[in-house]
This record gives sequence, C-alpha cells and structure tokens, in this order.
Amino acid sequence: MSGDPGISLRGVCKTYRGRGSDVVALKDMNLDCPPGSFTALIGPSGCGKSTAMRIALGLEDHDAGEVRIAGQAPATATASGITGVAFQDAALLPWRTVARNVALPLEVLGRDPARYGHEIAKLIELVGLKGYETALPGQLSGGMRQRVSIARSLITSPEVLFMDEPFGALDQIRRRQMNVELQRIWQETKSTALLVTHGIDEAVFLADYVVVMHANPGRVVEVIEIPFPRPRNDELYSSPEFHALTDRIARVLHGQ
Amino acid sequence: MASRHPFWKSPALRNLLILLAVWEAVGQLKLVAGGALPPVSAILVRFWADRADYPGHVMATVWASVLGFVIGNVAAVGAGVLFVLFPRLQRLARGVNIAVFALPPIAVAPILVLTLQGSAPRVVLAALGVYFVTMTATVVGLSQYDTRSADVVRAYGGGNWLVMKLVRLRGAIPDILGGLRIAAPNAVLGAILAEFGGGGRWGLGTYLLGSLGRGEPARLWGIGLMATLIAGLSYAVFALISSRVLGSTRSVTLNTALPPGDGDANAPLALKIALTAGAAALPFVLWWAFIRVTGVPEMIAKTPWGVVDYLFLADASANARAKLMAALAQTLPITALGMVAGLGFAFLLAICSRMIPGFIRAFMPIALVTQTMPLVALTPLLVLMLGRGLSVTLWITISVTFFPAFVLLVQGIQRVPQSVLDLPRAYGASAWKELRMVSIPAALPYLFAATRLTVPRALLGVMIAEWLATGTGLGNLLNQSRGYLDYGMIWTVASVSVCLSVGFYYAVLAVERRTLTRLGMQVVE
Repeated sequence: MSGDPGISLRGVCKTYRGRGSDVVALKDMNLDCPPGSFTALIGPSGCGKSTAMRIALGLEDHDAGEVRIAGQAPATATASGITGVAFQDAALLPWRTVARNVALPLEVLGRDPARYGHEIAKLIELVGLKGYETALPGQLSGGMRQRVSIARSLITSPEVLFMDEPFGALDQIRRRQMNVELQRIWQETKSTALLVTHGIDEAVFLADYVVVMHANPGRVVEVIEIPFPRPRNDELYSSPEFHALTDRIARVLHGQ
Repeated sequence: MASRHPFWKSPALRNLLILLAVWEAVGQLKLVAGGALPPVSAILVRFWADRADYPGHVMATVWASVLGFVIGNVAAVGAGVLFVLFPRLQRLARGVNIAVFALPPIAVAPILVLTLQGSAPRVVLAALGVYFVTMTATVVGLSQYDTRSADVVRAYGGGNWLVMKLVRLRGAIPDILGGLRIAAPNAVLGAILAEFGGGGRWGLGTYLLGSLGRGEPARLWGIGLMATLIAGLSYAVFALISSRVLGSTRSVTLNTALPPGDGDANAPLALKIALTAGAAALPFVLWWAFIRVTGVPEMIAKTPWGVVDYLFLADASANARAKLMAALAQTLPITALGMVAGLGFAFLLAICSRMIPGFIRAFMPIALVTQTMPLVALTPLLVLMLGRGLSVTLWITISVTFFPAFVLLVQGIQRVPQSVLDLPRAYGASAWKELRMVSIPAALPYLFAATRLTVPRALLGVMIAEWLATGTGLGNLLNQSRGYLDYGMIWTVASVSVCLSVGFYYAVLAVERRTLTRLGMQVVE
C-alpha cells in the first residue's frame, strides 16, 4: 500500500505512566482512512482520540503497534511536507501577520516562503480573509483566527490533512458555516482527511466514515459509513436520514 | 496601573509636589540632624555651582555601565538559551549562577581592581550585576512558551532548534525586556561600586567618595540624586520599550497546558551526583582559571587554595582567623536583625494592603523608586542623617530588605482571586479570620522568596555602611586590608561573604521547600 496517501494505525497502544497509577490512553487501536476519504473520530473526553491523532503526527511516541501515513513512518511523512494540521486552538504566533502565519509550515520545512506568495494569497482568499493579509491575530475574531489556521494547514498542499476539533471554540451557527466551507475546501484539494470532534452532527455532515471510540481504555468500538452524496448542504441537517444516523451514533457513544 | 487622569492632574504628581514642599520646609528649618537634609533649593543651587564637575563623572559612570550592561546581557541571554536547550548544562552551572547572584559587589570590587586594568573592573562589576537577572528572565521566558504553537512546528517535522527559533525566542522577548529593565539600575550600581574600590579619576563613585569627608550635604545629595536619575532613566527606557513590544506579543487565548517540566527525574543517580559535584566545583575552577588567565602574580591574586593556606596553614593564620571572626561577630547579628525587622515590617504592611488599598496605591511608586536608587548613593545620605553609629547600619539593612520584599509580597497577594477572598466573607468570617485563612497563607511563598532574594542585598548594605560609616565588621576589614595591602585578607573576606550569602540562600531554600511542600504550595522563582 506504499504510495497511497492514506492513514493506518495497527494495534497501537499508549500508556501514560503517572506516579503510582498508569492510565491506558489507547489499547490495541486500529484505524484505516482510505486515500481521499474523510474520516471523523468521535468519542467522549479522555477516550484518546486526540492522542491517536498526535501519535499519527509523530508528536507523541506509542508503546506498541504500527503507524503509517501514506505508507511512511509519521516522522518521515511530516518532514516531507505531505501532511497538514489544524488544532482546536488556532495556535497562531501573535507577532506574525496573517500571511506570515500561513507561511509558517513552509519555513519549518525549509522552503522559501517568497516563492509561495501566490498560494498564500489564494488560500487566504479561499478562507474568506482577503484584505486581512497584514493583520495581526490579536485584531481578528475567534472565527477568523480559526480560518487562518485552516489556511495554514493547507499551504503545503497536503495529501493528508489532520484536524483536532478545529471549530471547537466556535458557536453552533458559525460552526455550521465553517463546516460547509471546510467541505468545499477539502473537495478542491482531494486530500485524505482525519477530523477529531465532539460534535455528532458535525461528524455526520462532513465524514465518509465516523469512527466511534470509548474510554478506559481508549479503543475503537464501531465504524459507521455515511452514505450522503456530496456536496452536502444545510438542508441535510433537517432530513430524517440525517437524524437516524446521529441517533444511531449517539446510541453507540452511550454504549447501548 | 494605567492612570485615567492626564499626568498634570494625576495623584502621583500631586503627591510628588507635596513631598517636595515638605522636603523644602524640613530642610529650611534644619529639622533633620542639624541640616543633614538640605532643602531642595539648596541642592539645586549646589548642583548649579558644581555643574562643571558633573559631565566628566557622569560620562565615565554611564560609559562603564553601558559597556558592562551590553556585555553582561549578551552573556546572560546566550547562557539562558543554552540552559534551556541543554538542561544538564544549567544544572552544572547552578553553582556559578548562585554565586554570581549572591556575591556582594563591594566585596569583589577590590579584587577586580587588583587584577584588572583601567576601567575593566567597572565594566566587569556592571556586567556581573546584570547577568543573573537577565539570565533568569531569559530562562523563564523561554520555558513558558505556547505549547500549541510548538505543536504546529513539530507537526511539520520541526525539531527543538526550529521551535526555539520560530516560537520560543520571539515569545521570550517580553520577559527578557522585563529582565533588562530590572538589570539596568544594577549596572549603574556595579559601576559606581567599582569606582569606590579604587582607581580612576572620573566617575560618580569617585566623586561621591571624594566629597564624603568634606561635610557638604547639598553636594552629596546632588550626586546621589544624579545617580538615581541615571538608574531611573535606564529603567524607564526599558519599561517604555517593553510596553511597546508587549502589545503584539500577548497570546490571544489562554493556554491551559503547561510546558513539560524537568525531564531529568529518571537520570541515573551517578549522573545526578556528578552534576551536583560539578556544580559545586565549577565556581572554584573558574576562580582559579581567572587568576591563571589574567596572569597576576601569586602575591596579589590568591587562588582558592591560597585562601585556605592564608586562613589555616600560614604562620599568621591564627591572627587572620581572629580578625575575621571578630568582623563576622559584628556584621552577622546586625544583618540578621535588620533583615528580620525589614521582612517582618514588609509582611505586616503587605497583609494589611487588602484593608487599605488607597495607602498602597500611594506608597507603591515610592517603593518602586527606591528599587532603582543605587544603594551606594543612598548610604552616604543616611549616614549624614543618622550619624555613624550602629543605627545607620540597621536602617540601611531594613530599607534594602523592606522595599523589595514589600513589592514582591504585594504582587503575590494581589494574585489571589477576589472569589477566594469572598468565600470566607460569604460565610460571615471577620476580617481577621479572612486574613488568617487566605491572605497570610497566600503571602507565605512570597515571604520565603523575598528572604532568599534579599540576603545578598542585606549583606551588601551592611558592608557598604561599615566601609563608609561605622568602621566595623567585614566592610571595614575589607577597607583596612586594602590600606595595609593585606591581599590574603581581601580575597578571604570576598570569598567568605560570597559563601555566607550562598549558604544562607540554600538554608532558606531548604526550609522553604519543606514548609511549602507540607502546605501543598509552589516555590516562587
């Protein structure tokens, strides 16, 4: 499967060793994101969904199992620039302008940001922030900052896109708008996407597959396929099929 | 403390004008020690008469301070970055860092004058004065970075160096500027103290020493105020720069994740022991290397072994020991007494600050000004007012411990959230009960920190007073030994005073750790 820009976790285990007590964050976790698919990882707080993503990105070590991103080890994949990432908090550098924040991954990868001027401008326009290129993060609203971080996650034209509750800090209305935009952007880039989220309706709206996790120990309990055609729009939220699926996921989440 | 009034209508200006008016009246009426506190007008008249003297002295002091400030801070920031990148290096350098922090500049000044040429002693002492403050600020600033931004860099395969370059260095700038602000007056103090130590025709320290015996209070006040002005301006410049920079650097949201702590807890025991032993030995190795590199003859420059030899093995060692013990017996009790009084007073006043906030608001600016006032310029003025007896030593010690402790304690108490204070009151607790349950425990860590941090200052204050005024104790022994060319004693007093400072620092730290751990509190750095 080398060359496929997919994500695969096989039998991944992770234990945090504290003083006196160990916490099993992940036990024998398996996850497959086929190339070009959109996968949502959903579960209660502390079920290890963020940990799984951080392990896939090479931000944390795992104790056992195998992790492959596009057939490569995480460190190799991230350093070659085929991944993109957006966190729950925009995590923008407060002293950099919007354009220079978007260019940050390029600098980390040792590429010359000056040669990407066109891409940077295009992405800022794509997330609807044209005219804010030279603004500092402190001058933007929460939603705008989050869109900057989405633009930043796309600047390397990633084949694999990781998102950890990227709209967690936004209100419901804003979040739905951003979800429509995210779907549009993702369809344009044709990347493999992994979204970590708390929101059932967000997961169903965006994903091809919803992966449900349980805590203590963190593990995958069910994978649910979402069959709705794309592009999906706001009307989907009020359809009976949509509600049937969200109800089903809620039951799985509650262990029924 | 942003003021809502324009400056010319602000309470600060009103208080300043009242202070000046009272000062003028007290001076005109010769109320303090028969005219030791001259009226403001007399100081200005004298200043005008001496105006030809000032430029040369001011230039010499400022030049040495600036040079030392630059050298010391470059070393401090460089060391801070290295310490953060290689934590084990910081362990190894801990002994040196504490020694630099604890050394009373007045004890080192004669040594530097003996071993270095020209204006080098002033520059070195100014650099030593800034190193610890800036190094600590750099380490704190680099350690408290935004972990979320670091994650973004790491998620693209960035290593430690890229995180340092893109996230941590720029993020530490407000802290480093804060350090520079506090360090700037220290550089001025260092330069003036080295001028005291001897050599050179120019410099405010030389001018002050030369004017001391002539009984001209107005001139001494002029020099003291000039030194304060220079130190205060250097503080203000960095305060202005940091307020400009801070605007764009503050994180827009609050990060709840703390950066990972000391990851060395699992290191093998042998390595820990080796690092601790190395940290204790390194200051002495550097001392020895310093003497080898400068190539000063053995007669003048004593190595660590030379001091041991002088104090315990040589023919006259019994005599030397007796002199040292006699001096310590005079210096230590007064230092301890002054510190206890200063810290106790600061603690009481800070605790009460919750009840009388208006008083604190009026008092804080005065406390902050005394922070920038070079101790060495203050001492002769206190001598003028209080005479040459023991009381002057005591007052100097109290004042040098009181103000920093007070500022630290008030800042600490102000961090207690209002809701925590409201809780006992909501259950009908009296003001005293509220103090006992919340404010006093909350202030305790800061009292310990203040004790640790003011030890070297207290020792410095006592030694300056002894040198200039009372003619007793370690300060006097140092001054006398310079006169008798007793080089062994100069080195002995210097090393003993540093060891005392460091020893006391660690003693307080040990009690502090034990007490605070029992109370489940954190040690304040």
